Amino acid sequence: MSMNEVGIERALRTSGILLILGLGVEVVSLLWEKPLAFLLFVGVGGLLTLLGILLYLYSLVPPSRGTET
Amino acid sequence: MNLPSPETLLFALLGISALLVAIIVIRPSLTASREGKVFAFVAFFILPILCGSLAASGHIERSKQTKFCLSCHIMEPYGKSLYVDDPSYIPAAHFQNHRIPVDEACYTCHTDYALYGGVRAKFRGLRHIYIQYLGTAPSPEKIKLYSPYNNRECLHCHLGARSFESNAIHTAMIDSLKSNETSCMTSGCHDVVHNVGEQAKVKFWSPTP
Repeated sequence: MSMNEVGIERALRTSGILLILGLGVEVVSLLWEKPLAFLLFVGVGGLLTLLGILLYLYSLVPPSRGTET
Repeated sequence: MNLPSPETLLFALLGISALLVAIIVIRPSLTASREGKVFAFVAFFILPILCGSLAASGHIERSKQTKFCLSCHIMEPYGKSLYVDDPSYIPAAHFQNHRIPVDEACYTCHTDYALYGGVRAKFRGLRHIYIQYLGTAPSPEKIKLYSPYNNRECLHCHLGARSFESNAIHTAMIDSLKSNETSCMTSGCHDVVHNVGEQAKVKFWSPTP
């Protein structure tokens, strides 16, 4: 396994954990019937999910090749 | 056959999404194949966006409910004002006679207040939540609307209704009412609204269970 693949797998794992946490917070916010639940949904759930998605998209970007001399 | 409610479907979708993401977290090597890449794209991108959008829609729908508004302590007197036993109290008369949907009573008459309405109104709503939990909330009777009550909220039901149109005063000043030049509420005609500062003096109606 190349160093590149190790990096991608690590990024996928981190992204996946952020997404699971984000989705979990979204579930909690939907079960909690208080106005504060909306802030929890946007501020915590939404943020974690967004970070997870962005990290996943970043892991898709191929690494730039170093300048060969 | 009874179909599951949209809320049940949303919870199922959130659970399935989390499960699919967990599969990739446990076995990231699955994404080496083309099928695995498609699977990861669905689990890490399509489903979370879909879940987030549906959950946001669920939150917005829930915020229209009367019980949502009344879950803030400061709104309790306003909820109580819906049960005043006096037909001159406009909100009470509408609520008790089901002229408005009782489950969405606040939203029906305040479509541009706090979390309802445009982006600006939604930011005001977030500020309300901030003040409720972290700031110093005013006493209920000191709460005021940000802008004068818009006749549009009344006219969107009453305009064209027989009881409204057959009233000579209404028809004589309809243009003035439509343009908000004359307010339904503050012009002296229908000026008894929530009046939460006077609740000690009024009787309350209790609906039979």
